Amino acid sequence: MSVPLMELVDHGLGLSLQDLGRRGWKRFGVPPGGALDDHAARWANRLLDNPTNAPVLEILMHGVTLRALRRVTVAVTGAAPHVLKAGRGGPWHTAVIEPHQEITITPPQSGLWTYLAVAGGGFAAPRWFGSVSIFPRGGLGESLGPGFVLAGSEAATPRPDSPIGERWVDPSEIRNYARPPALRVWPGPQFDLFSTAARAAFFEQPWRVSSRSDRTGYRLDGAPIPSPALTLPSEPVLPGSIQVPPDGLPIVTMRDGPTVGGYSKIGLIDPEALAWLAQCRPGQQVRLELILGPSHPE
Amino acid sequence: MDIRIDPFGPDALLVRHTPQGHEAAFARGLALQRHLEQHPPVGLAEITPGFTTLLLEFTPGTRPDPRWLSVVLGAAFRGIKSTVAPERTLEIPVIYDGPDLPAVAAKARLSVREVIALHAAGNYRVALLGFAPGFPYLSGLDRRLHTPRLETPRTSVPTGSVAIGGEHTGIYPAATAGGWNLIGRTPLNIVDTTLARSADPKAFLFQPGDAVRFVAIPQEAST
Repeated sequence: MSVPLMELVDHGLGLSLQDLGRRGWKRFGVPPGGALDDHAARWANRLLDNPTNAPVLEILMHGVTLRALRRVTVAVTGAAPHVLKAGRGGPWHTAVIEPHQEITITPPQSGLWTYLAVAGGGFAAPRWFGSVSIFPRGGLGESLGPGFVLAGSEAATPRPDSPIGERWVDPSEIRNYARPPALRVWPGPQFDLFSTAARAAFFEQPWRVSSRSDRTGYRLDGAPIPSPALTLPSEPVLPGSIQVPPDGLPIVTMRDGPTVGGYSKIGLIDPEALAWLAQCRPGQQVRLELILGPSHPE
Repeated sequence: MDIRIDPFGPDALLVRHTPQGHEAAFARGLALQRHLEQHPPVGLAEITPGFTTLLLEFTPGTRPDPRWLSVVLGAAFRGIKSTVAPERTLEIPVIYDGPDLPAVAAKARLSVREVIALHAAGNYRVALLGFAPGFPYLSGLDRRLHTPRLETPRTSVPTGSVAIGGEHTGIYPAATAGGWNLIGRTPLNIVDTTLARSADPKAFLFQPGDAVRFVAIPQEAST
């Protein structure tokens, strides 16, 4: 039985409910969905003793305002770490919000996505093929707007003796999104079809995240690389797949991206590194580093 | 060797099973998929077909050696049939009034009426669901109607649009950006969102392997 917990006052630059996505539906054309920065989303839930795949709010940049409808314990991680308790207790923390109190997501110093979780097992929301991740482009659900009421468990309200309203993440787990590491890249299925010069140009130059990026894909700007003149019968892709269309500018498939693609794939960003890319802002530089492991095609 | 299996990142294998454009690609892919479903390697989490490929995703740390899987699948591969009969035929009503009909006709050097007649006369198969939830890639399009995708995709294609992209025809299940040539629309619901909520695969009107026929209906019937 779920109860109203919070009301969306302002949807700012956009937000959605996300868990860790769905498995088993790509064969029907349904992308996995799920939190783009799963590292931050998992920590928001862990702070509250929730399952790590409990539904959280994924908030783009700033401007979102929420009003508590009852006393609730929440946790905030990701790009805007000081939303609730600036200067007290450290970033990536929990806090107790009183009824009628408002939370506004302030502009983060770095990163794009902020995660807000609620205690008691997370937000209650309809699931589409087993995940709360909405997918308006595919006809699954609608974007959240002002007046939307977020529901959850009565256990979101802290008991008097509950310790979870005063927790924060160990600083070693908190990421500085302004300084991502070089992103590790596995060779893709068409790696060998790219010329030696194209591969060198791909891995030697710093790329900039394009402003034409969203939950379906992040485009990279830089010096175009020669792409193999080849039309593939569409192949399945994974989040992190790096496709190079004929214009030579790479597109990284993200979690709402198409399930199949027909462009040559030079590589795959390691699943552990993809959350770093997700938090890179348009214009931010990223470096890519080839993994020369047992998976390298001989 | 008829199949080739390569790692795709740390947790997945890509199985390439048929030379490009092979007519038996669908039957072979389906047979491999069914074999893997009946005899799943330890840790197999998801199978996603492409036209001539299968993507196998494994729980982290469990991916098998591709050489081992090549032996296993290679043995299964030798006995399979190169055709598979459809289990059912779907009849899809279409109002042929798409904005790209004149362009498709001009490229084919046919009249719009001839394009409609050819498209509605075809026997199609669902070769793949992909791109968007429930979007069917239908094979069997008359060669004369093969039309390249638009150079600049539309930012919004209406729900139910019947379209041609290259050698395939398909139907947009929901309003989305898209680069295929729009030739008509169907009033049918392609994805049942109620069944999507209960995670039922029957949510999708089209299933891989279905035979499909289009039936032209007059414009008034849509209102």
